[in-house]
Amino acid sequence: MALVTARNVTKRFGALTALQGVDLDIRKGEVLALLGDNGAGKSTFIKILAGAHSQSEGELRIEGRPVSFSSPRDAAEAGVATIYQELALSENLSIAENVFLGREITRRVLGVPFLRSRAMRERVAELLEELDAHISDPAAPVGSLSGGQRQAVAICRALNLNAKLVIMDEPTAALAVAETRKVLALTRRLAERGCAVLLISHNISDVFEVADRIVVFRRGRKIAERERRATDPEEIVSFITGAHPDVRALEQANL
Amino acid sequence: MNLRRILTLSSRELTLAAACLVAIIAFSMVSDHFGTATNLTTILRNSVELLLIGLGMTLLLAMGGIDVSVGVAMGLAAIGVGKVLAAGFGALAAALVGPLVGAALGIVTASVVVLGRIPPIVATLGLFGVFRTAIFLWLGGQWLSGLPTDLTAIVSSSFMGVPLMAWTIAAAYLVIWVALRRTPFGPHLLAVGNSETKARLSGVSVRKVQFSAFVINGALCGLAATFYVATYRNVEMSIGSTLALEAIAAVVLGGTSILGGRCSLVGTVLGVLLIRILQNGLLLVGVPSLWQTVVTGGLLIAVLCLDALSGRMPVSIWRRRPA
Repeated sequence: MALVTARNVTKRFGALTALQGVDLDIRKGEVLALLGDNGAGKSTFIKILAGAHSQSEGELRIEGRPVSFSSPRDAAEAGVATIYQELALSENLSIAENVFLGREITRRVLGVPFLRSRAMRERVAELLEELDAHISDPAAPVGSLSGGQRQAVAICRALNLNAKLVIMDEPTAALAVAETRKVLALTRRLAERGCAVLLISHNISDVFEVADRIVVFRRGRKIAERERRATDPEEIVSFITGAHPDVRALEQANL
Repeated sequence: MNLRRILTLSSRELTLAAACLVAIIAFSMVSDHFGTATNLTTILRNSVELLLIGLGMTLLLAMGGIDVSVGVAMGLAAIGVGKVLAAGFGALAAALVGPLVGAALGIVTASVVVLGRIPPIVATLGLFGVFRTAIFLWLGGQWLSGLPTDLTAIVSSSFMGVPLMAWTIAAAYLVIWVALRRTPFGPHLLAVGNSETKARLSGVSVRKVQFSAFVINGALCGLAATFYVATYRNVEMSIGSTLALEAIAAVVLGGTSILGGRCSLVGTVLGVLLIRILQNGLLLVGVPSLWQTVVTGGLLIAVLCLDALSGRMPVSIWRRRPA
């Protein structure tokens, strides 16, 4: 059974239809890549999943239960974690503090919540180890980390929230080659742990490296869905640009 | 290095401590009176209010906030303490009135800043004007003076050879240190100081943090008022007029970032001591007291320039990250 089921999801902003009748399943343990040109509706779709927007029409189900999010906090509680392109990390705090920010482990003494810093550091060290992130000291400040290492910290945060669906928005956009490789490996590992990963990317070769399935949006519609093994970069690019015969036929029909 | 680790002092704090020592030695060589026990005690006594207000200001700056009305807030609380004392309600009531009035003013400031979404520097500048006039009106053009001595007797007492005021400051320091380093309040405050947006996305309740910091700051101003009235037994019109400048200068000297996100409590204590040592020493070597605020203001500007030049300040204050 799919973890997330979207049926006929539509989003209108006034007269503009940003998303039109999207049907999509996201399965546990898979990396699903979402591709499309600017304005294709990718951001609108992930914002609906992340609770930042609510859909105008259509239904979202997580593990079969209908959900409706009115805030990012609602989505987080339902197990959806979003790793934003501009990472929401505090550079002046340590790795462990960032991973637990807003949901620290505490022990109450006379009603005062005291931080259990060691327990948090140990948990973060475990997570980093599990991700094979090559970061040794959970007490190091995030400001001292490279872009890829920061992605790893953001992923740790998502794991620590027990996220079932992790949305990654252009995780490799600002990274050097070696760092990109590491983040892609982390993305794979998230899926292997049983998370569903929704990856937004402009980079076709990255997508072909990690994704199990590829979905292409164009002008607010889902126009293609392919198993990675059953397609190739040329076909996907032709879907994105609209050069593919199927897209032409579809757009002719909708005129 | 080892000692430094034990004390966990940064180079900034060590430099400040060294500056205090150098100033003490230099003034002692020039002035016969400076190094006497009486004078050094006076310096410490004169630091009491600024230490308490500095601790509150440290929290505010660390959070990316500021309060330029701390001096007049202390003034208002001092009038409260004075009136209660003059009316004969006794020392305990008078002592409690300080922090209570201070916390109430803190709630007013917090409401304006947090609920009104007004930048703290502007909001507290407006409140400065309001509080200033409230002092004139409440005092009715007359100093409160010759207040009863019952509060003075208690506050100037000692416990285990250490003055009660020192115990109180130590307790306030400890409580704030524990809140910053041992409870979620610390990381939340610093996350807000780094970026409100990121803190909010991470699930920090930004408003709660901001509200708490302003109320704690207000209560500390009120506590300072209790000590002020107990010691001087009068409240004058110009009470607290230089305190905001001195507190901001001391906190920034101590290594807390004017842009938020980083703080040092030890640094604030050392910054307060350095300012009071310089003021006292300069007076003794014959510099007119008019120059005191010039020295404090000059120190503040010099430190900010040095920080900007040495790259301690992440971005120019003019291009501050969007809040």
